[in-house]
Amino acid sequence: MLKQETNELLTSTGPGTPMGQLFRRYWLPALLAEELPEDGSPPVRVKLLSERLIAFRDSEGRYGLIDEFCAHRGVSLWFGNNEVGGIRCAYHGWKYDVTGQCLEVPSEPENSAFCSKVKLTGYPLVKLGDILWTYMGDPAEQPPPPEYEFAQVPADQTYTSKRWQESNWLQALEGGIDSSHVSWLHSAGLRNDPLFKGSKGNEYNLNDMRPYFEVVETDGGLFVGVRRNAENGNYYWRITPWVMPSFTMVPPRGDHPVHGHLWVPIDDENCWVFTFDYQPVRALTDAEVQAMKDGHGVHNQYVPGTYRPLQNKDNDYLMDRAAQRRGETFSGVTGIAMQDASLQESMGPIVDRSKERLVSADSGIIKARRKLIGAALALRDEGVPPPGVDPAHHRVRSVSIVLPPDSSFAESCRDALTATPGVAHVSV
Amino acid sequence: MANAPTLLSSCAAAASAKEAAFRITAAPPPPRAARVVALDSGAAAAVREIATQPWRGAQFLSCRTARGNGRADTDADPVLVTADGREARLSDTLGDADFVMMVATSGAGAAVASAIGAACTVRGITTAGLIVGADGSAEAAVTALRPHARVLLVSHDASDVAELLNAVGA
Repeated sequence: MLKQETNELLTSTGPGTPMGQLFRRYWLPALLAEELPEDGSPPVRVKLLSERLIAFRDSEGRYGLIDEFCAHRGVSLWFGNNEVGGIRCAYHGWKYDVTGQCLEVPSEPENSAFCSKVKLTGYPLVKLGDILWTYMGDPAEQPPPPEYEFAQVPADQTYTSKRWQESNWLQALEGGIDSSHVSWLHSAGLRNDPLFKGSKGNEYNLNDMRPYFEVVETDGGLFVGVRRNAENGNYYWRITPWVMPSFTMVPPRGDHPVHGHLWVPIDDENCWVFTFDYQPVRALTDAEVQAMKDGHGVHNQYVPGTYRPLQNKDNDYLMDRAAQRRGETFSGVTGIAMQDASLQESMGPIVDRSKERLVSADSGIIKARRKLIGAALALRDEGVPPPGVDPAHHRVRSVSIVLPPDSSFAESCRDALTATPGVAHVSV
Repeated sequence: MANAPTLLSSCAAAASAKEAAFRITAAPPPPRAARVVALDSGAAAAVREIATQPWRGAQFLSCRTARGNGRADTDADPVLVTADGREARLSDTLGDADFVMMVATSGAGAAVASAIGAACTVRGITTAGLIVGADGSAEAAVTALRPHARVLLVSHDASDVAELLNAVGA
């Protein structure tokens, strides 16, 4: 359990909050590149860390993420025209470039310098992989761009989707760290999901419902290892990396693509879940990509034209009690992603952690919270750069492997847990 | 009917911030009856410090010697030392315990860890291990504790003992 004030510290990411300042030291996924598909695309409203912003791609192909509201009268620039070299407010024609610099104030004389004194907040926006990433902190502290492997491999080896989750970011992240729910909530998916089924590891998962846990602290976050019994006294390990603040990977299954998430606060009661799947050494097959687009694996289906899941709280996630009774799903909700989201949203927009009753199997979550709190306070009080900013911390992989009983996964899998270009991931 | 209509107040959409503040809660659960056992001298120093904090249901113990428990290592019911310096058999300390955390900085306490693991298995007590020191020295401790701890945390920070105890309600 946490004290109320500690819960508030962890869950509040608006400007000026300790956790908000922490997030503002990292490159964060802002939106998918597909949302700005071409030069001059219509602008997209983006809310991140409680800040309302506009993303646009100008006529020269430059990306920008700027304050949503015109400096003149506070009108939303989403209504504006993305013209040559900038976006023009629909109300009185003020025009801004991708940095937020005002270029024109039509009501002023042509030779007026007034517009040069007007600048909206603007953040860098860069494309890496399928994602447009932003950095919302002090420019003097801007780190190098992220080096997560899924965003580094060739385009035909990676696929990313995103979905809106109606809960605080932390309860979504904690689902990514908490491996102990997989054997229960997602048990049916191991048998029938096209992006999961058929691996030997699934058998170990389903045959041992009382796994053991090992949590190892790393420079950038944690490795959460879960072991189950395998043949001949060996252990089947599933190792989940967490890189601060909000990157997690799911241990792979057989030759299926390996996947993971970035959990990004929209505001304190909503978050974006960016979900990726990739293969380090081969292209994704057409069937794999189609399965992802169809919402299988850790992806989901959508309300058409939106990034809101088709199964959502307004329709009780299309709960199917008959499928639950037949054992086709454990919770009655279809799909790994929405099984997680439905339960996490049921906790309320910001779960009250002063009322929870943790057990030792929650050690990964306990340690992650502690690292987040420690990093946020060290940054606030002493200016200490947080873990996970260094791109070296991003070069991690998840692993599934069978090891002898006396082997340390951290030592035995040192290479396997490191993303190495051209080397296949280790998977059972 | 597969999908009966639901009222706004009784469907998932009712999960709002206002509603969450008024969720019905049971009385606070009783404190976890935890035993914290330092398995070596490095761990004992950390545990002694944590034992001075106020706890609701935790008791703190250490091995009798710096290297695990000396000759008593072979004992299935080893002698441990309580925070106030008394000696007690492991079996006597477990009593109403429902959670045992072993703390180690090396592999010295392997035999005691084994005894604790066996005793807890018989009694249905959850075990956890916290290993302080995430470098090579931790490996021996990991090997020693792994068979006997349902959860292992390898940490840079000894204060994680207190954090884990607080989190589980000890």
